[in-house]
Amino acid sequence: MKIWGMILGGFPRSRYARYALRDRERGVTPFAEDVEAIDRASAQIIGAQLAAGFPVVVDGMIDWHDIFRPFVDAWRNTTVDGLLRYFDNNFFYRIPVFTGEPDPREYVLPRRILRFKEIADPASLKAVLPGPVSFAYMSKNNSGLSNEELAEKIAYILRDEARKAIDSGASLIQIDEPFLADIDATRDHARLAAELVDKIVEGVEDKSIVSIYFNIPESSVFEELLNTRAKYIMIDVVDAPVRAESLVKNIGFGDHTPVLGAIDSRRIIDDKPSFVENFLKAIESSVDEVVVTTSTWLDLIPFRYALRKVYVLGRIVEELAGRNGYDLYSIWR
Amino acid sequence: MAGYEVPRKFPTTVVGSYPKIPPAMDLIKKRRSGDLTEEEFRKLIKEPISEAVKDQIEAGIDIISDGEQSREDMVVYFAERVQGYRPGDWVRIFDNVYFRKPIIVGELRWIREMIVEDWIYATSISMGRPVKGIITGPYTMMEWSFDLKYGDRRELIIELAKIIRKEIDELVARGARYIQVDEPALSTRPWREEAELLKEALDVIFKGLDAKRIVHICYGRLEKIIPYILDYPVDQFDLELKNSNFRLLPYLKEYGYDKELGYGVVDVHSLQIETVEEIKGYIDMLMKMDFIAPEKVYVDPDCGLKRLPRSVAKAKMKNLAEAAKLARREW
Repeated sequence: MKIWGMILGGFPRSRYARYALRDRERGVTPFAEDVEAIDRASAQIIGAQLAAGFPVVVDGMIDWHDIFRPFVDAWRNTTVDGLLRYFDNNFFYRIPVFTGEPDPREYVLPRRILRFKEIADPASLKAVLPGPVSFAYMSKNNSGLSNEELAEKIAYILRDEARKAIDSGASLIQIDEPFLADIDATRDHARLAAELVDKIVEGVEDKSIVSIYFNIPESSVFEELLNTRAKYIMIDVVDAPVRAESLVKNIGFGDHTPVLGAIDSRRIIDDKPSFVENFLKAIESSVDEVVVTTSTWLDLIPFRYALRKVYVLGRIVEELAGRNGYDLYSIWR
Repeated sequence: MAGYEVPRKFPTTVVGSYPKIPPAMDLIKKRRSGDLTEEEFRKLIKEPISEAVKDQIEAGIDIISDGEQSREDMVVYFAERVQGYRPGDWVRIFDNVYFRKPIIVGELRWIREMIVEDWIYATSISMGRPVKGIITGPYTMMEWSFDLKYGDRRELIIELAKIIRKEIDELVARGARYIQVDEPALSTRPWREEAELLKEALDVIFKGLDAKRIVHICYGRLEKIIPYILDYPVDQFDLELKNSNFRLLPYLKEYGYDKELGYGVVDVHSLQIETVEEIKGYIDMLMKMDFIAPEKVYVDPDCGLKRLPRSVAKAKMKNLAEAAKLARREW
């Protein structure tokens, strides 16, 4: 079995990145200095992932206030409202408001990929997108469209983002649909998500991941999502490990490559290899490739512990590959 | 409480926090940087507390708070005063705003009073009005801290509950008659097992306590766990209702709710000041649902007022008190 490690999404901000963004908001930064500060901080984050041997890395998205904001800012007929709790975290996102059909003024991802791909070498970059169902259902929809129609409009813009990101050099497209793990998510939401993900990744299915985190989705929701043509499916096996194990054993991942969110991104204690190994043993006979990742983005813990998690993930993947005779995919091999 | 009679019907109250009144924030910063000792801080923080108390009295609130002027944050404040915690690094709350999420690194132990002195001072200037003793609950302390020591959530929450109980015992010994435990984190994880975990902790906190026992819960999807919290050992649930458009009320009726209700009728996330007529309408709406008596309804804001400008916070309290007065005549 081929095994590799990868960080799921965004990073917390280092002290200097916090200061740079604060100064940008106060309007006291000389021209482009804040961008340079963010680039330096992103390089630090990419370097940590390279040191762990990961073949695909993220830039950390440290200038994103939340997963939706850069897209809201880049589109017409969208704005933000007050704060709303982001799932069960002590973190709040600004509610996107759609006042009409979203229309891109500019694209978010291509410039990022071009900006960071040299720093990421010899690894490649992953582009991360908010899922259209999470986006539509976690927003205020004053667009006159139904939520399903709005999600579809969003998906068409994200499809262009994905294509441009691939053209710019991204090796993977990740679409985050945490809403599907929510207590209110239904089979219909999952069906819509699968349909729209397929639209977004059309032509690059083998380079695409759908990720669900903060909870284990209901069986019916997960089964429906398995109909997507995206190659990889990620679930968070940390938040509710008993239910996660049941889902993995009873439903599995179909024809998809599993991405196991087995490194706890919301707690700072070091993860145990045995916890990850338990899940690997449950799937090793049925898959020929597995990715081990963080249970969600790392931006819910302090910066220094996020770096530690990168190290721990790299170490555990190497250790388990060696112990179990898995084929380790790493930039060191 | 001598000198002031809390109305029998629709008494008004607050959830606790109030906008920081200068120089409260400066004092908190100076205490942290070591420019002020704890004793100096305690002396100087009395001025903001007295202003917060004055505002509540002028607005017509019956059961008041100290405005939580000493507290930088509802978790960090206590973590700084309980043995076993150490300060954490910065974790983002929203945009580019952070809090220092504390870390549990050793066995937790109560070592000194945390909120008693502010409560005593507020009581001394409350003109007889009762002052709530308000403390962050064990579930929220657990969820909003990092744990490097226990690794077992049940063990940890019970340890936190024992510490909170000790502080509450100190308050009750000084005469506190209203004890409120704040648990905003509960509704973010609306699962049965989480609700049951908190119940165990509340048994430790409230068992045999000679005071009114209140739990404040806000936001999130409380309707998912209402069936599992109704047997909590409390006299009153204080709930955010206005912000969620009162959607909890039908659930409360359906489940045969029979405790007192802290009825959140003004939105603390909105600068818009609800009118007296609007608030009275919310009270009427509750009464017409016919599942709770006016004597069991405590009219208050959804949550702490700390994020509002002081003038808005005070205006909201004033209208709330006025609406309760009108409701008393009618119901």
